[in-house]
Amino acid sequence: MAEAALLALERMVKRFGGLAAVDGLDMRVERGAVHGLIGPNGAGKTTVINLISGLLAPTSGAIRVGGEDVAGLAAEAIAARGVARTYQNVRLFPGMTCLEQVMTGGWLRREASLLASFLALPSARRDGRRARERAFALLENVGVAARARDLAETLSYGEQRRVEIARALASEPRLLLLDEPTAGMNAQEAEAIGSLTRSLSAQGLTILMVEHNVGLVTAFCDRCTVMNFGRSLAEGEPRACLDDPAVREAYFGRKRDADRMQTHG
Amino acid sequence: MRALADLWAAYGVTLVFGAVNAVFALSAYAVLAVGVLSFATVVFAGIGGFLSAQLAGAFGWPFLAILPFAALAGALAAAAVAGAFLRLESHWMALASLALVLIGRVVALNAPALTGGVNGLIVPLRATPWELAGLLGLCALAFWRLDGSAYGLAARAVREDAAVASTMGVSPYRLRFAATLISGAVGGLGGAALAFTLQFLSPDTYFIGLAFTMIASTVLGGAFHWSGPIAGAFVFTALPAAMQAVVPQFEDVAKGLVLLAIMIYLPRGLIDPRRAALRRARAHG
Repeated sequence: MAEAALLALERMVKRFGGLAAVDGLDMRVERGAVHGLIGPNGAGKTTVINLISGLLAPTSGAIRVGGEDVAGLAAEAIAARGVARTYQNVRLFPGMTCLEQVMTGGWLRREASLLASFLALPSARRDGRRARERAFALLENVGVAARARDLAETLSYGEQRRVEIARALASEPRLLLLDEPTAGMNAQEAEAIGSLTRSLSAQGLTILMVEHNVGLVTAFCDRCTVMNFGRSLAEGEPRACLDDPAVREAYFGRKRDADRMQTHG
Repeated sequence: MRALADLWAAYGVTLVFGAVNAVFALSAYAVLAVGVLSFATVVFAGIGGFLSAQLAGAFGWPFLAILPFAALAGALAAAAVAGAFLRLESHWMALASLALVLIGRVVALNAPALTGGVNGLIVPLRATPWELAGLLGLCALAFWRLDGSAYGLAARAVREDAAVASTMGVSPYRLRFAATLISGAVGGLGGAALAFTLQFLSPDTYFIGLAFTMIASTVLGGAFHWSGPIAGAFVFTALPAAMQAVVPQFEDVAKGLVLLAIMIYLPRGLIDPRRAALRRARAHG
């Protein structure tokens, strides 16, 4: 069991001034799992993603990736340990084509040195060609290869999310963090993202995804963690989690809301 | 042939100063391309300029032989500046570099052994227009290669969103450090080029006026592609002469109006690859 967890948060605390956005969170993500992170608005889910990816430094607690504590490391150091992510409101680089976005994501997989690349040595040109082909294959994998040479900002919102996932995959991560990958999508697009995560998981990737759509979590996640007020309320198989009385009370609140969530599920 | 000679007699000086200013603009662009606004180019230019003047005076070395030393001196100064200032937030970095320019002038005034102090320094040699063109061509070649290399892609990522770039394993600090070194080397080269063009240096040569010229050139030409600062520098340098020819009475006003018009209608500069790509996308639509 201890070896199976690729990611473990231990007594994680993040305070912003007097506010504890994350307040003693414990969480384990099994190797190879698609793990959902759910909870009401303001529960601290995005903060958790920012802490794991190193954009925020925790106030206290440990973040173990493959057993190694990465808490407090710079974001680029955490990325180098095999963690990649996407953002709640897509953050692609303005002015770059889809192919360039994904090639940038492959920065850690460069084989030629920067000097060799500057001098356009044959080895660097081969490396550049390989990077281009790999980026194209990733775009194909997420289904936007036809737009490879277009500016990413000219794509539809759903397509941009796919480009962002391809960019994250370009670093060949062990752990992929998806922050609300289906926000602003219709049911059909959301379903497609769900299937995509399943196929990535089948290729051996571990995925942690923040998700509002409970139906999607029960359909596509192996396990999930329910958060509220910066702590974990329940963790385990999605249906069992959602049936947990503490979760029902905290997450669904009043009866009317609970009914609405059920029809989604 | 005669007409060409006449043209050179009339506009040769403008072209020469355009080339020198283009080198300064490239130095400013080197750091702008990773999202850092810095005026420290002026200081790197001063160090490269006074050093090359001294080398020319003491040993009689020609322009081309001195260039490597000017570049190295600029890069060394840039390493110190990067180490001291690069951790600052962007607007504080800009202010700190401006303070450095002010301090640089005071130092130049009070170190007559190095800079000639208030009397200035005469540079006994001159760079030919071909040498200046060669220098600019070499700088342009270097920026073209940077742009096409892995560094160029990472630089664009850091400039557009440093936090996102860092989660992809790109270290914004290290990239900005490298960019500052490049800016320092190019700034030192520009300083030497100016010294060998003016043939007289004073503490005011490398001061606010130069900072304004290089930033204006870069903003005007566009800071999103290496050819922008070059185009901007030539336009900015030629504008006074052109306005003098067209509307001699209102030269300054006309120059200001043209600059305003470019900034209002082309806010990202004369050369902007993103604008061109968006236009293509609309056309295919």
